[in-house]
Amino acid sequence: MGLIVKTTARVTIPLIGIFGSYIVMHGHLTPGGGFQGGATIAGAGILFLIAFGLGEMKKRYNKNLYSALEGLGGLAFLGVAMLGMSVAFFYNTLWHNGPVLNGKPGTLLSAGFLPIMNLAVGLKVFTGLVSALTAIALWRRWKG
Amino acid sequence: MNCEAILPYLIIVPLFGAFSMPIINLAGRKAREAWAVIISGITLLIGSAVFYAVYENGPILYTLGAKSPLGQGVSFPVRIVWEVDLLSALMVLMVTLVAFLAVVYSLGYMKHDTGLDKYYTLILVLELGMLGIAITGDLFNFYVFLEIMSIASYALVAFRNDTWEGIEAGIKYMFTGSIASSLVLLGIALLYGEYGTLTMGYLAVKLAQNPTVVAKVALAFFIAGLLFKSGASPVHMWLADAHPAAPSSISAMLSGLVIKIGGVYALARILFSIYGASVGMKTVGWIIILFACITLIVGNAMAVIQTDMKRLLAYSSVGQIGYILLGLGIGLAAYGSRTGDIALAGAVYHTFNHALMKALLFLIAGAVIHELGTRNLNELSGLAKTMPKTTFAFLIGAAAIIGMPPLNGFASKWLIYESSAIFNPVLGAIAIIGTAFCTAAYVRVIYTFFGRPSERVMTAKDPEASMLWPMTILVLAIIVMGLFPWQISDKVMIPAAKALENQLGYIATLMGGA
Repeated sequence: MGLIVKTTARVTIPLIGIFGSYIVMHGHLTPGGGFQGGATIAGAGILFLIAFGLGEMKKRYNKNLYSALEGLGGLAFLGVAMLGMSVAFFYNTLWHNGPVLNGKPGTLLSAGFLPIMNLAVGLKVFTGLVSALTAIALWRRWKG
Repeated sequence: MNCEAILPYLIIVPLFGAFSMPIINLAGRKAREAWAVIISGITLLIGSAVFYAVYENGPILYTLGAKSPLGQGVSFPVRIVWEVDLLSALMVLMVTLVAFLAVVYSLGYMKHDTGLDKYYTLILVLELGMLGIAITGDLFNFYVFLEIMSIASYALVAFRNDTWEGIEAGIKYMFTGSIASSLVLLGIALLYGEYGTLTMGYLAVKLAQNPTVVAKVALAFFIAGLLFKSGASPVHMWLADAHPAAPSSISAMLSGLVIKIGGVYALARILFSIYGASVGMKTVGWIIILFACITLIVGNAMAVIQTDMKRLLAYSSVGQIGYILLGLGIGLAAYGSRTGDIALAGAVYHTFNHALMKALLFLIAGAVIHELGTRNLNELSGLAKTMPKTTFAFLIGAAAIIGMPPLNGFASKWLIYESSAIFNPVLGAIAIIGTAFCTAAYVRVIYTFFGRPSERVMTAKDPEASMLWPMTILVLAIIVMGLFPWQISDKVMIPAAKALENQLGYIATLMGGA
């Protein structure tokens, strides 16, 4: 892409990333959440891929790392779902018993395991979408 | 240990295995294979424990997120529930057993392929989706698990994406399968809009109080979508492409499990547990019977003319689904009578038996392809000479699927024949014609195997241990189940069919007797 696009991308990628993180972190307070925020951040990744090209992306993208992070997002989700296993699967023990994330409803540190789940889903969606798009971009050639 | 406390681990363990697979994979090939075997082995243990608990103590209700499914201060369920009666428990046992064997088999069978970390992740996700369908008591939860299962199987059918047939079958399966899934989703949306609840048991209560046209439209969508998933006849074409194109361990799971859990079991659950009291059972039963008869004839007749071994087995699966649907349809149409009970027990029994024998047959087909590199039956003559153990296993599997008396297929088919002949002699005759075709197809294959060895098979030998053991276990299971057919039928299958018919019991389990 041209100079203007690259420069604009340099400015907007951090903004998109920050906005996406905001959506993920405030998933329990405002519209949006893990999926929406994760997809927004993945939009930043895709903008990087398009603006700077596949060559730059190849240097910065590590398949194993992204794959492992995606698994980690799932594991974190499963892990917090199991925290209240003594009562039931998905029992929100952080909200009922603390120690953290049981603040006043409406504040950032409330809603029990929901913020953690949003972060986990956001991580999973971001890494998954970026991996998928990069894999498609890396597809060998047009003609067989 | 509290017997319902183990139920969530049926979901947690395969989910944990699938999520941690990308991380375990960093440790190399051996670690990844060991991990897949360990996870599916633990799932098998949990599945057996769940089956045992349900068999001993009756149905299990598990609520996600709290102790009770009912909301605070209200008398209706607000949470997702998992409800496992004897039929679900039987399905759980079947899924975990065949999935474990398929994973073990993959160690040898898939070792020449690449991208195997994805393969093992997908196979665990497929198992997870099927277990979820079997245990869930929530309609939307059911849809989510149905999609998990379907999407994992689309990806696995097209796993060998360097072959043209893998891609072709995958695309066909995915396009048509997504439409079928969306029909199910549309049915769920209609029911939710009309009745405002998604819990199966409570929905049954609401439906009985106020049966509407919307509910019937939704039922039509469910039947259409789920008959597609089970590979019933007018919409069986994806199956005949998908099963040959998939890796054989996956064909075994698709044919043994996916079409039964996602199709027949889900259909039975929705028809009996949700719609049981509120629609004309006779009409619905006859609709199912109609499709069952078409499926029986088309599937088995098409199996006779195939020259591709896996395609033959795929059409035979369509034919056997016809038997299961026939039993289910008669169970609906003759609801409450002795004939209906027997037909339903036969359908349940045949579901379990067919999972074992079709898994065995596909694993054998995989071994043959692995050794010889061809699926064309015309090139496989004389296989008995060079692959005696495999041929023997095929002989057992084929005899069981035809319904030879000392093997397990006999009892289940007998129950279906008997009940269909009592219910309506024409249906009995159709079932027998189907079996005649089926016998013709398998005798042809066996005849080929015992022919004069062709040049191609001279260099073949029996497969390695990791591929031979799953076959051995399935052969043993088929023979042992064949030795005690009526005991199994009386102790497990008839109670399972009764549990399915007992809609009031299903609702009472949900509402906690309140």
